[in-house]
Amino acid sequence: MKRPGIITVLCVMGFLSIVVSFPRVFSPEVKKLGSFMPALFGLLVAANFMSYIGLWFMKRWGAELFCLAYFIKTLLDLVLRQFGFSFYLAQAFSLFCIVVILLHYRKLDRNL
Amino acid sequence: MLRLLFKESLLFAWHSIVSNKLRSMLSLLGITIGIFAIILVFTIVDSLESNIRGSIQSLGNNVVYIQKWPWSFGPDYPWWKYINRPTPQYYELDELQRHCRSTEALAYRLGGRRTLKYRSNAIENAVIAGVSYEFYKIKNFDLSLGRYFTRNETEAGYRVAVIGAEIAKGLFGEQDPLGKEFKIAGQKATVIGVIKKEGESMLGMSFDYQVAIPFNFARQILDPRSRNADPVIYAKARPHVSNAEMMDELTGVLRSIRRLKPFAEPNFALNETSLITQGFDALFEVIGMAGWIIGGFSILVGGFGIANIMFVSVRERTNLIGIQKSLGARNIFILYQFLSESILLSLIGGLVGLLLTWLATLAGQSLMDMEISLSGANLILGLTISVLIGIISGFVPAYSASQLDPVEAIRSNA
Repeated sequence: MKRPGIITVLCVMGFLSIVVSFPRVFSPEVKKLGSFMPALFGLLVAANFMSYIGLWFMKRWGAELFCLAYFIKTLLDLVLRQFGFSFYLAQAFSLFCIVVILLHYRKLDRNL
Repeated sequence: MLRLLFKESLLFAWHSIVSNKLRSMLSLLGITIGIFAIILVFTIVDSLESNIRGSIQSLGNNVVYIQKWPWSFGPDYPWWKYINRPTPQYYELDELQRHCRSTEALAYRLGGRRTLKYRSNAIENAVIAGVSYEFYKIKNFDLSLGRYFTRNETEAGYRVAVIGAEIAKGLFGEQDPLGKEFKIAGQKATVIGVIKKEGESMLGMSFDYQVAIPFNFARQILDPRSRNADPVIYAKARPHVSNAEMMDELTGVLRSIRRLKPFAEPNFALNETSLITQGFDALFEVIGMAGWIIGGFSILVGGFGIANIMFVSVRERTNLIGIQKSLGARNIFILYQFLSESILLSLIGGLVGLLLTWLATLAGQSLMDMEISLSGANLILGLTISVLIGIISGFVPAYSASQLDPVEAIRSNA
């Protein structure tokens, strides 16, 4: 299955966002939120990264993993009341990704 | 089934790492250095922070310092505004005690450095604190021997002293210091109490090296007008009274004592211990950031190293992957196998980094005589970063291995 251009763009932007959010995992700000917060944020970044790989290869599990990671991350931000500029930017980008993913969901491969 | 799959993957990963010892060691070196740099900086910052916070705690959270100079950090300190201010006077303490309702205790302290002598033993530049009676209610200290001054001794200026543990050791050695007479700048004083050893204070305020004497006795030894005397009035808030409320009252009373006009700027400073904490917070943030950047780059390089080695590993074992797949191995097994290898590699690198950090903290403790310890939070952080690097750098090679066509994989000459 040929990958649509919009998904390629999303994936490239996603990989760039991983490069930005990866160092945040062990930043002093996240550490201040709690001992296990870097671990939790780290897992979410890893899940996000894997989901972009999945989407790059047009796999359904990539889309599903992306939605799951988005849901958990949003829940965590809401609980921790992290409503900075980065929260709204991430929300806008993620919601846009979800819409694109849903539009192309049928084209995605069911296998691993 | 999943457990078996996981166990098998781990076994394969372990065999692969063991069979290429030198290559594995070199590739995990980047992670080791990165984890060591980040966690060591975080550990030092945390330890310094907890030591300083402990020292500040001992000063009391609900204590306000009435002084000439305000506590402030940064380059723009307007010293010319404060230099002509009067220093707090002892009579002001009396006035404050008479008028303030929000304070639990008020005390006066005058400082200076003088030589102490007992027979042939001498301590030069020992810190002498001339204090008023309620000083013991402000400062948290325990006595290991003897007692504190009585109100009568303080007001009448008896020649008595309560000394720090190190002063007692330096002057009297193994002898019992209680009742012994020693000289402070030539004036005789009798030891009536010894303060329990407090240990090093990051702010240099440990009582181990201080001698407390009644204020009216200290007047004969110390000059209240000297620049080094730094007179202070301490005010401790009553329970359930906030510092802000107490400071409002203190400001009003002090303005009336000093007869300041309604719009005149106050000529005194009310300092809180939280100001010190704020000053240090900025410093720790900078150190933490520096460690984060240095360690972050090392980890990034380490991650690329692991990704590279995983691609090489997949290439080398393409035949094997083909055989495994043709014998029925599922894609997920191949994925787990390579992902476990990269996570295991990274985790070993991280563990070695943490071990080095722990050894560095031990060395630091013995060299600097300071409490430095690798906290649980930093341990978790180190392990998290290792696993994360393992996943991110190993996922693409592992996934590409899992997608190989068995026939083509067996045919490959790698």
